[in-house]
Amino acid sequence: MTSDRHFGQPGRWAVLAALVVLAVVMLVPFAIVTLNAFKSPAEYSSGGPLSLPQGLYLDGIVTFWQRVDFGLKLWNSLLISGVVAVAAVLLSVLNAYALGVGRVRGRLWLLVLFLVANTLPQEALVYPLYYLAKQVGLYDSKLAVMLIFTVIQGAFGTYLLSSVLGQFPRGILEAAEIDGASRWRILWGIVVPVSRPTLTVLLIFFFIWTWNEFFLPMVFLISNDNQTVPVALGVLQGEKMMDATMSSASALLGIVPAVAFFLIFQRTLTRGITVGAIK
Amino acid sequence: MVKLGRSAAVAALAAAVLALGACGGSDGKSEGGGAGGGGSAEAKTLTLWHYETGNSAMGTAWAEAMKEFEASHPGVKVKFEEKGFEQIQKTAGMVLNSDEAPDIMEYNKGNATAGLLSKQGLLTDLTEEATKRGWDKLLSPSLQTTAKYDERGIMGSGKWFGVPNYGEYVMVYYNKDMFEKAGVKVPTTFDEFTAALDTFAKKGTTPIAMAGAEYPAQQLFYLLALNKANRAWIDSFELYKGKVDFHGPEFTYAAQTISDWVKKGYIAKNSAGMKAEDMGVAFIGGKFPIMVSGSWWFGRMQEEIKGFKWGSFLWPGQFAPGSSGNIWVVPEKSKNKDLAYDFIDITMKKEVQNLLGNSGGIPVAADPAAITDEQNKELIENFNKLSTQDGLAFYPDWPAPGYYDVLVSGVQELINGDKKPEEVLDEIAQPYNDNLADIGN
Repeated sequence: MTSDRHFGQPGRWAVLAALVVLAVVMLVPFAIVTLNAFKSPAEYSSGGPLSLPQGLYLDGIVTFWQRVDFGLKLWNSLLISGVVAVAAVLLSVLNAYALGVGRVRGRLWLLVLFLVANTLPQEALVYPLYYLAKQVGLYDSKLAVMLIFTVIQGAFGTYLLSSVLGQFPRGILEAAEIDGASRWRILWGIVVPVSRPTLTVLLIFFFIWTWNEFFLPMVFLISNDNQTVPVALGVLQGEKMMDATMSSASALLGIVPAVAFFLIFQRTLTRGITVGAIK
Repeated sequence: MVKLGRSAAVAALAAAVLALGACGGSDGKSEGGGAGGGGSAEAKTLTLWHYETGNSAMGTAWAEAMKEFEASHPGVKVKFEEKGFEQIQKTAGMVLNSDEAPDIMEYNKGNATAGLLSKQGLLTDLTEEATKRGWDKLLSPSLQTTAKYDERGIMGSGKWFGVPNYGEYVMVYYNKDMFEKAGVKVPTTFDEFTAALDTFAKKGTTPIAMAGAEYPAQQLFYLLALNKANRAWIDSFELYKGKVDFHGPEFTYAAQTISDWVKKGYIAKNSAGMKAEDMGVAFIGGKFPIMVSGSWWFGRMQEEIKGFKWGSFLWPGQFAPGSSGNIWVVPEKSKNKDLAYDFIDITMKKEVQNLLGNSGGIPVAADPAAITDEQNKELIENFNKLSTQDGLAFYPDWPAPGYYDVLVSGVQELINGDKKPEEVLDEIAQPYNDNLADIGN
């Protein structure tokens, strides 16, 4: 690898030091959350957020879990994020195949449109989506959130994949056409397998992004049985009071699944990026 | 090769997620159908939403009310859902306009919240029930202010759209140990109060815990203005019953005094950037002898102050910020309005109100003799005293939408010393007068 050449040089240490500082800055909030999650409210109030807990206080986590029926929220989040991730990748591939490989007329403007759709704030979408959902009887259903996020994530995926597929080696495609493969066959037999690493990364991103969504799920998932994890965390923020230790406990519970998901698929993620780069 | 392993993994993942998806489709449908059919089914349910913590005074009292309701209404189940404050705040208008509206819910009092929804026709007029069931007798006139809204959605007069169960007010929390050590007695007049502040400041202790970045600073600012005000001025400012001169004696005195108190060291200059939570934690940690804030802290103080003795007293003056708490409203689309009225009636009963008082809240219709805890008793007696001397002056951010942020930045500038008091008064006058023009006053 090229990095061997730089080993021992002072510049390399500077980069390492900078990365360590960055890592610490990134990790400190997590550390504070973890610290306070295991503190009793009285300890927090007398010692402040940075004091060390005197013992392991698990009541915050247990109480919060029971109070919001956290298991159900986990399942809802998993369901919604999973469906959205798969459906949005599928949608992106189909769109990008037409725009990137198929080179339809006016594709540049279509891509610009998708980009603009991406920059729209969700607050602007809320009322139109609310009326639409009410009209078709999907208000307060998980399906509404799944559809909305499939489209939102799909817009980004289309934009990204279109530029990736625009660079797709034409030679392979032409060879397949000469062999008599249909467009459908070329998509599933050649384009998808070759760009699978990119698709995997996209899938994971879509999952995590959807998992972390707060605003639209809050508006559309009215009954507690339908709510997702981030919405459930919002229950703790009162009008004038906040319960710092229980908020920390709930934040910890909220982060853990996303981190676990990342760790499980982390190998796929890094491999996906490098494989794509070599190709 | 590597490819085989990878594709197998992706296939497995895809299969797993697709399986989830299949469940999702059928799940969503069956739930949608269930909610629609709930109203027509034999067993009735009362869907109830509120956003108070389960172990708070209101949470405890209302849990008891639900139990009593189920006991007195055989065959009716209460379906209670705990909501987040923000969710209710942001989505109430949309929810109440749909078929998913609950039968009864807790909602924020005020022009921008309950007033707005009443104007949009989303809330049920409760006037008839209030007179029939005697809620209008149980609630004092100043508490009724937040229950009634006129056709413009402005509180204070018109029809009943909500029923408050509890009260709240701003008072002075003090650290008894620090008072004793400094030889300071509990002040009963404003002069004694400033003398006490001076004693602490001279000893090098900043007396008042403050938070300039949130509501506490504007409430202190308002308290000071109230010391020069009368009821007519409050009605002008809060209920638009007259003109308010922002350069009149009330606000001029308040702005000048805040600025003076910072100079004299009664309020720390760095408190401009503090949040309410920081202020509370500092007081609970025993770092300040005095904190001027609302009764919503009371339960937390009781639970978390371990290292010293503490107490509370009324702000020295006739008025203090305060009002009814949040209110029960019955959505216009409620499917069980009669049951909702029955539930409100139970929450106003003596037993539930006494429980609210004994749990650290401020009941509006309790039997004072039934409150056993000394500290709770003091809290409630002070509230009743304030209420009978017509001292509830509402909150300074009520009169105009977005006024909270205007006041936060105005008072912050006073504490920082960035702007002169007169300049700050001009700054906070502008949005207020703009709003007056908007509502046609």
